[in-house]
Amino acid sequence: MGMAVGTYKLPRRCRSTAASAAFEQTLANTPPTRVTVLDSGLRVASEDTGAPTATVGLWVDTGSRYETESNNGVAHFLEHMAFKGTSKRSQTDLELQVENMGAHLNAYTSREQTVFYAKCFREDIGQAVDILSDIIQNSQFGEQEIERERGVILREMQEVEMNLQEVVFDHLHAVAFQGTPLGRTILGPTKNIKSISRQDLVDYIKDHYKGPRMVLAGAGGVDHQELVKLAEKYFSGVSYQYEHGKIPTIEPCRFTGSEVRVRDDSMPLAHVAIAVEGCGWTDPDNIPLMVASTLVGSWDRSQGGGANLASTLAQNSAVDGLCHSFQSFNTCYKDTGLWGIYWVGEPLQQEDMLYNIQQEWMRLCTNITEFEVERAKNLLKTNMLLQLDGTTPVCEDIGRQMLCYNRRIPVNELEARIEAVTADSIKNACMKYIYDRCPAVAAVGPVENLPDYNRIRASMYWLRL
Amino acid sequence: MCFIEFRVLTLISWILAGSGVRGARRVLPTPSRPASSAAADGGGGGGLVDISQIPLTEPIPGLPTPVGSAAVYGATETQVTTLSNGLRVASEPKFGQHCTVGVVADAGSRYEVAYPSGISHFLEKLSFGATKKFKDRNDIMLTLERLGGICDCQQSRDVSIHAASAEARHVDGVVDLLSDVVLRPLFTEDEMQMTRMMIQYELEDIERNPNKEAQLMEMIHAAAFRENTLGLPKTCPANNVDQISRRLLYTYLRHHFAPSRLVVAGVGVEHQRLVDAVQRHFVDEPAIWEAEPELVLPGKTGVDTSVAQFTGGQVLIEQDLSDVSLGPSPMPELAHLVLGLESCSHHSADFVTTCVLSTLMGGGGSFSAGGPGKGMYSRLYTNVLNRHHWMYNATAFNHAYTDSGLFCIYSSAHPSQLRELCDVIVRELTAMAGPMDVVELERAKKQLTSMLLMNLEARPVQFEDIGRQVLATGHRKQPKHYIDQISRVTADDVRSVASSMLRAKPAMAALGSLAKLPALSDIEAALLNPGRAPGRRRYSLF
Repeated sequence: MGMAVGTYKLPRRCRSTAASAAFEQTLANTPPTRVTVLDSGLRVASEDTGAPTATVGLWVDTGSRYETESNNGVAHFLEHMAFKGTSKRSQTDLELQVENMGAHLNAYTSREQTVFYAKCFREDIGQAVDILSDIIQNSQFGEQEIERERGVILREMQEVEMNLQEVVFDHLHAVAFQGTPLGRTILGPTKNIKSISRQDLVDYIKDHYKGPRMVLAGAGGVDHQELVKLAEKYFSGVSYQYEHGKIPTIEPCRFTGSEVRVRDDSMPLAHVAIAVEGCGWTDPDNIPLMVASTLVGSWDRSQGGGANLASTLAQNSAVDGLCHSFQSFNTCYKDTGLWGIYWVGEPLQQEDMLYNIQQEWMRLCTNITEFEVERAKNLLKTNMLLQLDGTTPVCEDIGRQMLCYNRRIPVNELEARIEAVTADSIKNACMKYIYDRCPAVAAVGPVENLPDYNRIRASMYWLRL
Repeated sequence: MCFIEFRVLTLISWILAGSGVRGARRVLPTPSRPASSAAADGGGGGGLVDISQIPLTEPIPGLPTPVGSAAVYGATETQVTTLSNGLRVASEPKFGQHCTVGVVADAGSRYEVAYPSGISHFLEKLSFGATKKFKDRNDIMLTLERLGGICDCQQSRDVSIHAASAEARHVDGVVDLLSDVVLRPLFTEDEMQMTRMMIQYELEDIERNPNKEAQLMEMIHAAAFRENTLGLPKTCPANNVDQISRRLLYTYLRHHFAPSRLVVAGVGVEHQRLVDAVQRHFVDEPAIWEAEPELVLPGKTGVDTSVAQFTGGQVLIEQDLSDVSLGPSPMPELAHLVLGLESCSHHSADFVTTCVLSTLMGGGGSFSAGGPGKGMYSRLYTNVLNRHHWMYNATAFNHAYTDSGLFCIYSSAHPSQLRELCDVIVRELTAMAGPMDVVELERAKKQLTSMLLMNLEARPVQFEDIGRQVLATGHRKQPKHYIDQISRVTADDVRSVASSMLRAKPAMAALGSLAKLPALSDIEAALLNPGRAPGRRRYSLF
């Protein structure tokens, strides 16, 4: 409230509210997110719902984007090695402790974030924080375990390769962000998986696991003051200083309109993704782009007429049999993003599907209606809280937002931001990001029927508006 | 809207059915209206704060700071009211601005014996379509969007659920919509055609999907309860797609959606308000098949009241699965095997013990995501997957119903190793009645308790639990009741439950190249005579 002075003029309705009750605050029937910053820069953020169970986790501002060509895959390798024993616990001790307390320990690595979290009974939060701090500060990285884990990761790579959606998205990143760290995969190339050494892992931790880049998040039956005390006790070894003064910086990742086709006519279906450059996490344009993405929607042919009838593309797909499924996406990174669509379809439907998609995109840029935008806004608001049910989704939201925005955006603010989107703001954002832009295309399977790049590019604008 | 059957680890096994942890579709909460629309008209009027220019790292000036509620500790009570026509209304309050309300009906594929199988499958696909009040699905979705909500329909073997999550203040609107969807659907000709096509697509997708778990679960039910109740197919058989007509659907609904077979359950709602709304829309307004009796086929008798008969036996499908990969990377050829034993209903005194046993067996995929806590020290990991690296999967499931249950182990390996696979699984099944380590038992009990509470974190799961319990027993037992029961389970209890399961006739389902599959009679003999190094001598080739 204190900021609403100076050059800003408040909207009238707000002013009248302010006049009648200067400190009127909305009463949310949800617990507040409390944030405490420790001396090391580590942020503790939590929400107490009083549930008998809780999720606590460590969100670290690091991932494959911080890697080089020679150590690509190390962030993910590290995630794997974290459960292989520390100086305080052997691997078996660690596993048994978690299993015996009925808890779950999990980890994942993305291009910009690495996450370790535990789900447990409220009473066991102390043990969970102890374990989390132990695995990131005292992991042993035994040579034998490293050797064994190479095999496991190579096996995981095979699994990923069976998931065609993941294959297509890796290809999409590889072309869209070619020559930059975002173009690399999270798992890294086989060569690196076979050669990453203990020293690489130790160096990576030294370089990146620093207080200011970490968030300890908690949700469920979590008392914030308790969690802060636990963080002070167990994360005392985490520092804010970088050794040898080398502070890792991230280079901007350039987007390149381009394409890759992996044609394989023996596959039954084609899997295609097409995307333009979107915006970073914090960019206010993120909101209209999310609404636009929701408007394009997603669909699967076994849904028939579509639960998501707000989407014209879904209607067309259902009526004309354009594809088996499609999914619109808006993937954000720190300073860039990918806004596009992924679909799976019959070999000879590619051209028709693409035509419909690009028609829809051009419509977003030029003459989308208020009615459709209103529906998409409603759907988006519904979907945004869709995952906020249960301690783990809430904890993930807290951790991710703390890293992305350095705060948890209050629900009423998010709603106000979405509410502010109009057909005009959608058109403006889409004109800026989509219209006459070079898209990145990745296609796998029987893709003969997919128009060539020049034709795709030529359909990114209309001669007659 | 395929119904996914989940690995049943939880205590209240059906809690998980369809709303479990791994990506099931859920009826989920939705955000409330903006508390203040003050900053909402970013574009209007000169000199206003333009929200669309403020980075997401910065708060919007002028928005009131939300004040959160304090945490609420302690259990709640379920209130149940029976209305004049026998329909029951049950609710619990819950933290948050959203509610989940739905209709849980004593219906499902188990009652389809006198009908062509697939009625429930059709109802699921047709759900939330045109009704008397709502022109078409689009109309329903629009209405629901205005209530800030979403909806979902799930049909399982023994229960049918139509539910919606929306802003709590819109309870009346939600109940109004649900009543029309459940009691007054139109099933237009267009919708019938569309549904036939959707089901056809779904059958194709099932065939194509390399993950065969759902198909095997359908097969083991068919083997265990041959041609009766729980063994009837949940997925519409291809031959029936064109046979199911509007009148059949209405006839089925008239019998199976009678008020006494329905529970309207709500979480996060005020009980009296829910009761009043239900009275208005479910009692005062008649169902379409009551108002227009000509929709119903004459002569069809009532509900199949037969009790589930565990027959045992086998369902085998010989199929070449050597090329199931959808992409360029090849997938291993697998044969899938499920061995099933008769367990107990969820009313039974042995129910909780069986769930403990199921957790103790645990297991999963030989290559599964997730760190410690996924049951890495359960028997199917320590004794099976960690020792036999040629196996791809070994997972224990316990399906509990109102009158029977099915305990089974799903496993898969290369077809050339079916015989060894059988050996290994039979050995583990017989070992269930053998010695048991206190540590492993205590671990299983702890994991079961945490699984129960963690699943109940989600409001739709809590809703489903309330609905199913009230439907089955008239009231809801709080989690604490089950947690106490779990804590009292002893090794002797588990062994005695296991021994009695092993004595009954087993069921088997298998899919793939089955040349090496041992005969069911050999497996049965091996289960009965654990002393005789199970099976080895009797059916090993070498």
